Amino acid sequence: MSLKSKIIFLVCFVGLGIALNFFLNSYIQALAISFMINSIMAMSLNFITGVANQFSLGSAGFVAVGAYTSAVLTKEVFNDQWYFIPLTALIGACVAAFAGYLVSLPSFKLKGDYLAIVTLGFAEIVRVIFLNWNHVGGPRGYNAIVKWPNFTMAYLFTGAAVLITLYVLYSLKISWFGRNLWALNEDEIAAEVMGTPIAKNKRTAFLISSFFGGLAGGFYAHNMGYISPGSFGFLLSVQVLIITVLGGLGSISGSIIASIILTVLPELLRSLPTKVDVRMIVFPILLILMMIVRPEGLFGKKEIWTFFKKEGRS
Amino acid sequence: MIKSILSLKNVNLSFGGIKAVQDVSFEIHENELLGLIGPNGAGKTTVFNIISGFYKADTGSIDLGDVCLLKLAPDQVNKVGIARTFQNIRLFGNLSVVENVIFALQQKIDHSWFHSLFRTKKYLDIEATLRTRALSLLKIFSLDQLADTPSKSLPYGLQRKLEIVRALASDPKLLILDEPAAGMNHSETEDLKKLIQFIKTEFKLTVLLIEHDMKLVMNICDRIVVLNRGEKIAEGIPAEIKANKQVIEAYLGKRS
Repeated sequence: MSLKSKIIFLVCFVGLGIALNFFLNSYIQALAISFMINSIMAMSLNFITGVANQFSLGSAGFVAVGAYTSAVLTKEVFNDQWYFIPLTALIGACVAAFAGYLVSLPSFKLKGDYLAIVTLGFAEIVRVIFLNWNHVGGPRGYNAIVKWPNFTMAYLFTGAAVLITLYVLYSLKISWFGRNLWALNEDEIAAEVMGTPIAKNKRTAFLISSFFGGLAGGFYAHNMGYISPGSFGFLLSVQVLIITVLGGLGSISGSIIASIILTVLPELLRSLPTKVDVRMIVFPILLILMMIVRPEGLFGKKEIWTFFKKEGRS
Repeated sequence: MIKSILSLKNVNLSFGGIKAVQDVSFEIHENELLGLIGPNGAGKTTVFNIISGFYKADTGSIDLGDVCLLKLAPDQVNKVGIARTFQNIRLFGNLSVVENVIFALQQKIDHSWFHSLFRTKKYLDIEATLRTRALSLLKIFSLDQLADTPSKSLPYGLQRKLEIVRALASDPKLLILDEPAAGMNHSETEDLKKLIQFIKTEFKLTVLLIEHDMKLVMNICDRIVVLNRGEKIAEGIPAEIKANKQVIEAYLGKRS
């Protein structure tokens, strides 16, 4: 991207935030922010599950660690000042990254379903810890977390986080590290014989992925203003997984598109005059259809922009 | 004086009650082509796996020059200079031909996270050099035309070749080939024979070859080590091996 197009992009990005503040009602605004947060979660899972092929069902755990860390920090250390939110979210992300590293230590030899069970177990442990930790509210949840002062700020910072996540994960995907992960993904034994340390690569991938999971958690807490252990249950992990699979395992930008679809769709379904919660039926049906019609997800392993450029590589 | 590059001394390994490798010792001299043969189940591949670090020998020692290999993991074994291929080809199927080679090349390079994250000029330069080096290596083996095709779509013979090229890319002192002629027809085996001789002279390599194809082994090996039931039963130049009574017995059984 040239410098000129970078500046145009930046102006559009900021301008859109200010404009949307006036033109959208608060319901749509909240939806927009929650789409962004979902897409950070999905991208972070996509890196570990799509690129590194380490099937994780524990994204809710990392999100919870990030969310609680950031929420507690703003309240108890930074005096409920909203401009510390980016900083605390970043600290939350680091704590989550550390948690991810701990999970990867004993589990680097596991693959597929077995790893999924371990990460799932981790997420449950995190949830139960917060459930029984009275200082952070226990089952009542953590209340009155400082929120963004207005939509423009929320949009700008969350949007910036989305862009940074996309940029970092994409450049890692196409870098030497990404190539190491692709190779591991294809054939672990051959990769090891060619001189790449498997365990180290997997640990690093986990570290990076859970960092962004935690980042999403921080933004989630300050967007909602209230978090409870219930919001970080198994269902959240599964929803993130569905977004990732829909977008295409290995396509970082695909996760963003998929999270638009899967954030807007349930809201549209909400207006249906049914007694049961149709959303929970539509999600699985969508996933089943997806697996039948297009098993590799919307974009497969490619990024969106490779579809526009003739000569480009994913 | 002949310099030995890899030496195995009294290597033992048992799986439960089965002694897979018993008291095997041999040396590989510099720039020689050593064949390792034996009937099925003789322990050839086990010896390979011990050298490349997948199995840990119970007792004994393996030294490459003055580096002890016994405690090293497979990736470290590669770093000290041993590259191997596999009996059943293990390429990175969805990666392109050139990426397979780049992957091997990049393991020798210290990448910085900072440069790769911000895609600085230095990083892009390194990537470009890696690609050029990989392409020139592929050109030697006339695979450069296929550089951007996924490696899984290559024909069998070329996949073998690419696996050898990938092993060469990690710049080894010792190249271990595990049954490279398996599943090949006569003319492909002829090509393989030329290829092995070519890389041995061109890259000044020492090669350890496991093979079932006796014609190939007898033709190109400088020396041969014969294993049977985990034990070394003979060692010598091809003519000696052909005449060795124990070897004939191991393959054909005793005359009653």
